Amino acid sequence: MSLLRLQDVSKAYGGVRALRAVSFDLRPGEIHALVGENGAGKSTLVRILTGAVEADSGTVEIEGRRVEHADPVAMRALGVAPIYQQPALLPDLTVAENVAMGLERGGPWRRIDWPGRRERARQLLARVGADIDVDAPAHGLRMAEQQLVEIARALGADARILLMDEPTAALTDREAERLFERIRGLRAHGVGVVYISHRLEEVASLADRVSVLRDGELVATREMAEVDRNELIRLMVGREIQALFPKRTVPRGDVVLAAEGLGCRASGIHGVSFDVRAGEIVGFAGLVGAGRTELARVLFGLTPADEGVIRLRGAAVRISTPAEAVGLGLAYLPEDRRRHGIIAEMSIAANTTLAALRTISRAGFLDFAAEREIAASYQQRFAIKAPSIDAAVATLSGGNQQKVALARWLATRPSVLVLDEPTQGVDVGAKAEIHGLIVDLAAQGLAILLISSELPEVLGMSDRVVVMRAGTVAGGLDGAAATQEAVMTLALGHQPRLSA
Amino acid sequence: MTYERGLALCLVLEIALFASIGWNFFTAGNAGEIVRASAEIGLLALALTPVIVTGGIDLSVGSLLGLCAVVLGVTWRDAGWPITVAAAAAVVAGVVGGGLNALLVARLGIPPLIVTLGTYSLFRGVAEGVTAGVRNYSDFPESFLFLGQGRIGVVPSQLVVLVAAAIGFWLIVHRMAVGRMLRAIGFSPDGARYAGLPVGRRLGSVYLLSGMCAGVAALLYVARLGQAKADAGTGFELMAITAVILGGTSIFGGRGSVGGTLLGLATLAVLQNGLRLADLPAELAGVVTAALLLAALGANRVLQGRSRK
Repeated sequence: MSLLRLQDVSKAYGGVRALRAVSFDLRPGEIHALVGENGAGKSTLVRILTGAVEADSGTVEIEGRRVEHADPVAMRALGVAPIYQQPALLPDLTVAENVAMGLERGGPWRRIDWPGRRERARQLLARVGADIDVDAPAHGLRMAEQQLVEIARALGADARILLMDEPTAALTDREAERLFERIRGLRAHGVGVVYISHRLEEVASLADRVSVLRDGELVATREMAEVDRNELIRLMVGREIQALFPKRTVPRGDVVLAAEGLGCRASGIHGVSFDVRAGEIVGFAGLVGAGRTELARVLFGLTPADEGVIRLRGAAVRISTPAEAVGLGLAYLPEDRRRHGIIAEMSIAANTTLAALRTISRAGFLDFAAEREIAASYQQRFAIKAPSIDAAVATLSGGNQQKVALARWLATRPSVLVLDEPTQGVDVGAKAEIHGLIVDLAAQGLAILLISSELPEVLGMSDRVVVMRAGTVAGGLDGAAATQEAVMTLALGHQPRLSA
Repeated sequence: MTYERGLALCLVLEIALFASIGWNFFTAGNAGEIVRASAEIGLLALALTPVIVTGGIDLSVGSLLGLCAVVLGVTWRDAGWPITVAAAAAVVAGVVGGGLNALLVARLGIPPLIVTLGTYSLFRGVAEGVTAGVRNYSDFPESFLFLGQGRIGVVPSQLVVLVAAAIGFWLIVHRMAVGRMLRAIGFSPDGARYAGLPVGRRLGSVYLLSGMCAGVAALLYVARLGQAKADAGTGFELMAITAVILGGTSIFGGRGSVGGTLLGLATLAVLQNGLRLADLPAELAGVVTAALLLAALGANRVLQGRSRK
């Protein structure tokens, strides 16, 4: 019998279909890996399993019993325990207190049995093979230790199903290897593990079975022993990269933006040099945390540079606020659309013109007719699906919100456009449309910096690729030289990850 | 829009009620009285509207009014400056006080609630210190008292000031690019910054403007009562904030209108005046104000809540 079984589960956010008829099962004592590109639907699946969101249709069964109303408390009670890459321990409480959280019964006035609490924490930590002082405060533990404490707590709550989302992202190789041993040790107890990771090597050495999600659909479930790395990649990507991106080569103009030895101590970047020509799309690749968004923030004056030079058309400029950056013709489409890219409560029209208020006002007074004209023209040009330009941006789907965010910057008539994860969290259709727009913009002579964590996107869209690592430029790759392998080699560096 | 219409209906009902139970309520003379009594708070409420639209608050305006009144008295009588120069000095004092708030909020990024809670005590404390808490300035010249007691035709003179301020703030909030920026800041300060808006400068300007209006309100106050004391304008900040919130401006920022503020102000002013003329206890004003405010917030939540998730 399956420990966990999903049947035809679907989920949509607004207009974006995150999961389509996904069926999945987990056996007792099994480590079942879940892989897929960013945005394939892995985190939505985890959210459904933890009860954070409810599926629109389909059924979830745990140990043969159908789950009727999933909420986080109910799913925990049914034995589902999520373990995240950033452990959610309370930093100022001790290990024993953190383990006790949610395990002890009784009301707020019950006396605490301290010796019992410590003893149980010790026993549970012993079960995961961790040697951790139960009286130590959680903030003093290393990331790996915090994860073990979380697993111990989950076991204490009789969890039968562990959901692990990129648990090794913050660990060193040795720590990760030890964690794998602990996870393998859980098999004997009949615990099932859903293991999500981008690291295919890890998945290959750890998992019993693997399921591949792509664009919200579960495209395959295989025995790990019967599938190799290349086939997994093929299943994850599922299509030829060339066919997907509408990249055209346009004649390149002069250098528009150049950075020389750019650095900012506060945001951890240093010695960054590169240039971008008119009509050129330069991709910025690298691991999460390599400093790409930090670089964009420096260019846009959000965290001003404290060393190096930024040149616009050859002239050195000082950019110490975003307002100055906009004045110089820079535009920055930020990574976090909802917090930074749009103002959700305001209308499409107001969002479209927000960075270009000067162009729609005379002597400080708004020209509402001009505003509507601009907003309507972008709505048409970008095919923004909305009842009217007066609709609040919050009511749009992710892809349409992103188009509004992009329209805002084009309305400023910039010469340099920095795009930070421009297709994150948008559905496949809108993604293709946004790619088409980016290519058109380059053809019109904009200098474009494209930051993306999706390697196929960077490779498929860019004329050149700059790879960043640890806050600086690790290398540049031109056209044909930019392959997935070449980029990853630069992004990871030659040394293996530091060992503990 | 629906909210403002509801509030306007409330005001009409209120006037009808007092017209039927009060003596001499529904007269031109009493209308003038209501305007006179509410002009200073009205000026403060108008200036507070853009402040609250940015998601901020200014608790110091009542105290600053007191300080400006004292500055007027000191410069005119003690220093012997001409009344026009003294009046200008009082307004400058307001700008300086507002500038202090602006500096602390916009430059140092301290939460406005804390900044203006501090300057609320500071301004009143300085005013009391200068006058030793008891000195009272009076015997201002007739030409100056006209500002608070005179009429232009049938119109009380402070109504002219109030209308001018209302038009000015309406243009700022609803018709100018600045108003759009203030709204964006109120909805999302980070979002506004990422859109390249000069968030600090815009925030500073609303506190500066608020201080300046406290200075002008001090002139109206002293001219109306004929005396300047350190306790001038005590509690005005809360009345003004009540008028703004009652007018439908969201304390969380982003949403709000100058028209709403005027309606909120009128509702409060008519209530206080009407209760007095109907010989009802003045204490009732507080209770009814509270009921109105809670009802308004509830109605607003229901109207806006539908569009939220």
